[in-house]
Amino acid sequence: MKTFKTMLKTELKLSLRGLDMFIFAICLPLVVLVILGILYGDRPAYEGADHTFLEQSFGALAAISICAGGVMGLPLVVSDYRGKGILKRYQVTPVDPSMILLVQVTIYTLYAVVSLLLLYFAAVLFFGCQFHGTLPVFFGGYLLMVVSMFSIGMMVGGVAPNTKAAGVMASILYFPMLIFSGATLPYEVMPASLQKIADILPLTHGIKLLKAASLGSSADDMLIPLIIMSVIALFCISISLKCFKWE
Amino acid sequence: MQDAVRVEQLSKSYGRLLAADNINLSVTSGTVFGLLGANGAGKSTIIECILGTKKADGGKISVLGMNPLTDRKKLFEKVGVQFQETNYQDQITVAELCEVTASLYRDPADPNDLLARFGIAHKLKSLVRDLSGGQRQRLFIVLALIPGPKVVFLDELTTGLDAKVRREVWKILSGLKEKGLTIFLTSHFMDEVKALCDQICILKKGKIAFLGTISEAVKASPCHSFEDAYLWYTDEEGQTDENF
Repeated sequence: MKTFKTMLKTELKLSLRGLDMFIFAICLPLVVLVILGILYGDRPAYEGADHTFLEQSFGALAAISICAGGVMGLPLVVSDYRGKGILKRYQVTPVDPSMILLVQVTIYTLYAVVSLLLLYFAAVLFFGCQFHGTLPVFFGGYLLMVVSMFSIGMMVGGVAPNTKAAGVMASILYFPMLIFSGATLPYEVMPASLQKIADILPLTHGIKLLKAASLGSSADDMLIPLIIMSVIALFCISISLKCFKWE
Repeated sequence: MQDAVRVEQLSKSYGRLLAADNINLSVTSGTVFGLLGANGAGKSTIIECILGTKKADGGKISVLGMNPLTDRKKLFEKVGVQFQETNYQDQITVAELCEVTASLYRDPADPNDLLARFGIAHKLKSLVRDLSGGQRQRLFIVLALIPGPKVVFLDELTTGLDAKVRREVWKILSGLKEKGLTIFLTSHFMDEVKALCDQICILKKGKIAFLGTISEAVKASPCHSFEDAYLWYTDEEGQTDENF
């Protein structure tokens, strides 16, 4: 426990010193919230809807930091620490190298949770949003989203031969998902053809799940995203367990 | 006296290259053992097999009577390692790296004491990557000593240090040896080996070319100095002549 706490404190400091996660996981979702808030104000999601467009987008905004941490931050740090031989150094200590991976997962979870809280308070205080769903359902969906996105990151970080390859793979996954899965550009304003492409991206289904949970939609709306996210998580976790390289 | 490190019939190959060929050696507790050889002679492979970061193809290895692969957690409470590569996080400071390293062990030495003894206590707040080569090298020796080890592995211990600092490092290590520390090192400096090592092993292309004390090494060769004897064992002299 002493080891975990010291490592978490240090790795968190290192991560904040890097600034990129602060920008992409904390600032970016807030900026998108403010832009959407200014554009749509308290307009309803569609005519006769009982929730506003902004409320509908909340689940998508909450996904931005999960995606940044899981698909960009995690694979880069894992491949960097392997490339530098940091994981190997832990092999000649009493601590298991997986400890540092656990610390990193904790850090990116913290980023995601802090972003979620900031978004929630900003949305409620400045734009009068309300939460329509049930909290346990929302947190269940949120947890599944974190697990499946982070498992993608672990898989990429685990199988990429070097930091450069990990960077390329992470970018190929991250930027299309950030733009086309409805995280920043709302899914609802996309033309139908673009929506079809968006449906290929794993994040799109995670966002559908969070949206349904935050708006209190019926369980049927959640079933397909739920299955897709679970399958992704299972697939990526088994690949990373099988193919992970310590050096 | 008990052997701190014991290697029996160790072999390891990469494809068709035999990096370690039937290596047998043992290091008595409280002594300094030097593993010597040209680059690519198999030094790092042997160290990594002893530490368990590489899996040997065959042979038996024990450190402090334990198997490095199966008793990893228990063994590395008492073993310090300094690798050749510089494996630390990009933005980490000296103080942070020492604190994290100390947190890995149940009963660590005080990093501040060690930093002071190696003359780098004033660098606590610096980023590790901003240290000079010599300061960084000393920091890595400090990290290897933080566990309060019974055995320490130092790979190319004083590469990058100036003459004065090297002598200081030797002095500290000799002092630790007096207190019972076993030191397993690799080095390219024959003066260093002469100053520190009780036993040496000279490798040539993955095989042991000589194993024993320094004076035995000179006696068993046609040479008069240890440096000449080393070159004779590794055949480097002949090769250099051919290049001219």
